[in-house]
Amino acid sequence: MNSLQTVLFFAIALIALTSGEHTSNWAVLVSTSRFWFNYRHLANVLSLYRTVKRLGIPDSQIILMLPDDMACNPRNAFPGTVYNNADRALDLYGDNIEVDYRGYEVTVENFIRLLTDRVGEDMPRSKRLLTDDRSNILVYMTGHGGNEFLKFQDAEEISAFDLADAFEQMWEKKRYHEMLFMIDTCQANTMYSKFYSPNILATGSSEIDQSSYSHHADNDVGVAVIDRYTYYNLDFLETQVREPSSKLTMGDLFDSYDEEKIHSHPGVRYDLFSGGEAGARSRLVMDFFGNVQNVEVEGGFAGNETTWQEELQAIERMIDEAKRRHNESMVPLSQHPIENTERLVRKSVLKKEGAAKVNVDSSWGKQIVGAVALLGCLGVWAAGSWLEAQD
Amino acid sequence: MLSSLIFLLSLIFVTCTQADSDYHERLLLRPLPQSALLASFNFRSNESSASFEHRNFRYFPRSLGQTLQHAHTKELHLRFSLGRWDAESWGARPWDGTREGGTGVELWAWVDASSDEEAFARWLTLTNALSGLFCASLNFIDSTKTIRPVISFRPEGHHTNSSLLNLHLLHGTLPHEVVCTENLTPFLKLLPCKGKAGISSLLDGHKLFDASWQTMSIDVRPVCGDGSECVLEMEQTVDMVLDIERSKRPRDNPIPRPVPTEELSCDTSKPYNSEDSCYPLDKDAEPSWSLAEVFGRPLKGACPLTDASGYESETVCINVPTEREVQVNTSGTYAEERHEDGLLRCYKLPTGVDFDLILPEQVPTANLALEEPPLYAARSINGHGQERGSVQAVITNPSTTSAIQFVYLESLPWFMKPYLHTLRASISTSPSSNPIEETYYRPAVDRHRGTHLELLLSIPPASTITLTYDFEKAILRYTEYPPDANRGFDVAPAVIRLLPSNSSPNTKNVYLRTTSLLLPLPTPDFSMPYNVIILTSTVMALGFGHIFNLLVRRFVGVDEVENWNTGGLKGMLKSRIERLRARFLGKGKKDE
Repeated sequence: MNSLQTVLFFAIALIALTSGEHTSNWAVLVSTSRFWFNYRHLANVLSLYRTVKRLGIPDSQIILMLPDDMACNPRNAFPGTVYNNADRALDLYGDNIEVDYRGYEVTVENFIRLLTDRVGEDMPRSKRLLTDDRSNILVYMTGHGGNEFLKFQDAEEISAFDLADAFEQMWEKKRYHEMLFMIDTCQANTMYSKFYSPNILATGSSEIDQSSYSHHADNDVGVAVIDRYTYYNLDFLETQVREPSSKLTMGDLFDSYDEEKIHSHPGVRYDLFSGGEAGARSRLVMDFFGNVQNVEVEGGFAGNETTWQEELQAIERMIDEAKRRHNESMVPLSQHPIENTERLVRKSVLKKEGAAKVNVDSSWGKQIVGAVALLGCLGVWAAGSWLEAQD
Repeated sequence: MLSSLIFLLSLIFVTCTQADSDYHERLLLRPLPQSALLASFNFRSNESSASFEHRNFRYFPRSLGQTLQHAHTKELHLRFSLGRWDAESWGARPWDGTREGGTGVELWAWVDASSDEEAFARWLTLTNALSGLFCASLNFIDSTKTIRPVISFRPEGHHTNSSLLNLHLLHGTLPHEVVCTENLTPFLKLLPCKGKAGISSLLDGHKLFDASWQTMSIDVRPVCGDGSECVLEMEQTVDMVLDIERSKRPRDNPIPRPVPTEELSCDTSKPYNSEDSCYPLDKDAEPSWSLAEVFGRPLKGACPLTDASGYESETVCINVPTEREVQVNTSGTYAEERHEDGLLRCYKLPTGVDFDLILPEQVPTANLALEEPPLYAARSINGHGQERGSVQAVITNPSTTSAIQFVYLESLPWFMKPYLHTLRASISTSPSSNPIEETYYRPAVDRHRGTHLELLLSIPPASTITLTYDFEKAILRYTEYPPDANRGFDVAPAVIRLLPSNSSPNTKNVYLRTTSLLLPLPTPDFSMPYNVIILTSTVMALGFGHIFNLLVRRFVGVDEVENWNTGGLKGMLKSRIERLRARFLGKGKKDE
């Protein structure tokens, strides 16, 4: 009895420890601008991509959306590269990059489908956000926007209401634990003003009626290479958050925003977060930008000896079964030829669709048929008019 | 010359498939005129069909293997291409054009299915899975971009006659698709040495996507030797033509700068030659280059999975004249072998240490003869206006002796509607004869499928065929335009397959592709709907407002207003009260 009590105590303690934490990290990084002069928006997103990858989120848990091709663009004097600084010290495109949605695939519809996981059955895993209620998600968006909207590729726009509803649907479907929403666009803070789902920490680059500005241009690339807000975020992440064990908090990140340097008023929205401002500010930067490997022990009551022994036996049985099936299939299969003939029979009825052969018929046959048909009509008309005349 | 070399190499490859190792790789380097360099990478791995069925993958990448099994695909060909092969200066194509695709992405596969619908469903599964695997928008290959070629493609692998009946060939192209580093990354991850060792360590996106022409291919096909067990063969190739001068520029400073005056070699015979004016002389010498310079990174020794000895172990070959000096720079042990009368030098790479080939600057004494391509083809859009246009394809047979029979395949988007009755083909040497022998045609259906036109033609020696047809441009719906509609719409390259002639029995396939076309369609002013909405609202407001006013308002003269000046709420209330009072008072009067 006593031992059972200690087991129970530890199990409860374990649940208490893990329930407040997340077990996976995901990042959705979206640039919404096409065309070469928006180079900086892709550079923004790729900078974030490099940062979260450096801090441990694997490619399989990063959804990267790039609406245009900057690296292999004919206008790019530096083929295969994208830079976010005029010193060109870091090639953001590098040798190892996986872009999940690119070109015309970056649309509002695809973005919302990705968030809410309403996708077709053929959608590959790499293009899906396979999160659960223990996943922390970083959503970063950049592009051209305005009061409560963000343009996608100059052709359509997502409104703050759409985004808020998509996040609410995610919450209802238990698709996130906590979310950091970060947006760098003009009047960015209006984009998160409509959110109403819990556990979202949101930050944006500028207030309503304020523009977000680019940081600087590279004369050889020929365009601006990064936006100010993203630049100073990166500056903090790269100089302060150097290794995954960093204990810096989101509060430290928000305090580092200097309105003099950013040239706009960055905003933070704490009210949706559990624990309010204090709770949000005490979250680690690594909770959103890094990858954790917390393992949750399921059930907590699994300390029972017989259960895990039973499970072990079940696994053994599965292995035996797999071995047996493997050995069976190594024996030359006798049913295959039968299957083939079956198919053959089925096949003979089938007619494959496709292009048809065009035959040019230059013989007199058809022309005679045509002439006869015409003459026949003439005859009918003549007969008809003759009968009419009879009346 | 070149293609025959490659053919020979591939022959040796095929005969060696029964060797110890099931993984082979080879890089063939060949300098081309005008300081270009052709690099052909070839990677080949085998997996026995039985172990493939049981999902025991050794060299075959598991991700691709499972995709193929899931989509019931028996043979797969996938191409990513960029640029144009300049046949006039570079001669015949590597691999006879069989490992090449049209600009953008091209995919064709033989899918096992019992009906057309099932085949198409599996094809969609395949394209979606490949789009995730290769970071390309292959999921855009839908029914409008899919055709079922009749005579242009034949299975490369060995399929039994009974299984062939169930195989459906589907072909799709994305001419607008960009090919970039994100496509190379998964391509390298499919290789057993993953770009860490062996010749694949030379593949760098920064150089590959800066090449004048490049194509990446993946081919999966079943190969059955006589009597032995069938294997599933996977072949990956990368072919690129690098501009040596351009590739040698440092990556951090790729913008060409003027040569310093003291390094200029001037033509002193020019009358204006002086201190400050110079007519630069062409250099006679071939430029110097090394592997590390042109590929931007060193070759990191041999991939340990290749054969340890024999011809298969020689994984780097260079095809230069016998007089050309080639230096080897490595700290490990390597071996050099000469084949083809010394024209082909092959090297066995050391393991674990860097290997570099250095070709110093040298004045060439003899040039390698370029092999003439069997056909030249060019295609263009003619005409003007927003409504119709015409396509002209010019195909030239340079051979003075042999006639060539070939297949011309066009896959047009649905919004480009050709008139088949305007299809004309004329031969320069005999204008009266018709070179079209067979025509296969499937007309487009708006928004459901594109046009598929396949022609069998024959071209007499030393003559040119001009193929023309007119087409009409459809008007798209407002939402069907892409975000960059004013750029135009890409039309997939035409595929030309040369049929083996009756006189020469060797049945190798030769393919070539034209460039893609840019079709300008009438594009609306995309702000127009907003203008229309605004105008409509204005008209509604004016029209409705006036009629409404006429119906419910009462118009009075200015002089009549005097009597109405007790308007407003106060006036209304007052009048009500007046009326009520009048009624009560009136009643009272009656009572009196």
